[in-house]
Amino acid sequence: MLSGENLAVGSAVLGIILAFLIAVRTELTRVRDGRILAFLALFVLPALAVWAGASEHMERAKSTEFCLSCHTMEQHGKSLLVDDRSYLAAAHYQNNRIPRERACYTCHTNYTMFGGFKDKWRGLSHVYVQYLGTIPKPEEIKLYTPFNNRECLHCHAGARSYMEATAHMKTADLLEKTSRNEMSCMSSRCHDTTHDVETLADVTLWKEPRK
Amino acid sequence: MTILERRIRWAAVFVMVGIAILLGSLASDHPLSFMTFLVLGCPVVLLGILLYLYSLSAAKSSDEP
Repeated sequence: MLSGENLAVGSAVLGIILAFLIAVRTELTRVRDGRILAFLALFVLPALAVWAGASEHMERAKSTEFCLSCHTMEQHGKSLLVDDRSYLAAAHYQNNRIPRERACYTCHTNYTMFGGFKDKWRGLSHVYVQYLGTIPKPEEIKLYTPFNNRECLHCHAGARSYMEATAHMKTADLLEKTSRNEMSCMSSRCHDTTHDVETLADVTLWKEPRK
Repeated sequence: MTILERRIRWAAVFVMVGIAILLGSLASDHPLSFMTFLVLGCPVVLLGILLYLYSLSAAKSSDEP
């Protein structure tokens, strides 16, 4: 099957070959067929390669490995393995409530039309800080804005385990308030233990059994 | 070699260099590869494409009476 990577590499290699041909035999463009070749080599294939390359990079940037490749995020990665189900991120990761290979992205993206692009735009500033700025300590890393319930409800809304949970029926309007984002899932003394990297020195970590 | 051909040759060189950077960036999953693609690869390829399109439009307008 033609994957994004194959399309990017294929169009790039073909683009280089044809562009090289045009560069060394520019006189080819004097005839009609040569002009068509130049259009392919200098417009169609490069545009396709950039589009496919961007698409492939965007996909790769969603991986857990990508997010944790910066040293400062190591503790957040470690928090996914805490052997305590009150740690929200760890409970989601260890119980496959989110795909493990996309653990960070699944919870931290914005489920809006251009959410993925906004995330990557923010990610550029993270790379800037990593290489040119002052790197904060892991426990100092905070969200830009309070976590929006929309991201939780993208999966949980309508799920029986969510709708019928005893804790979620404490008050009649609790579910309505959370769906309107008036009451945060995380900052209302409900699911407020998320990564809590400052506590990692005192916790035991889950070791996944070998398959 | 005409001016048009010289511009097309430069466009081809930019496209080749840009795509080579793009290919290299795909070899790794690291955020720096993403940045290399975005900051170096894309602009150089786009520069080549724009130079090619400009050379066509400039040649066409110079042909007009």
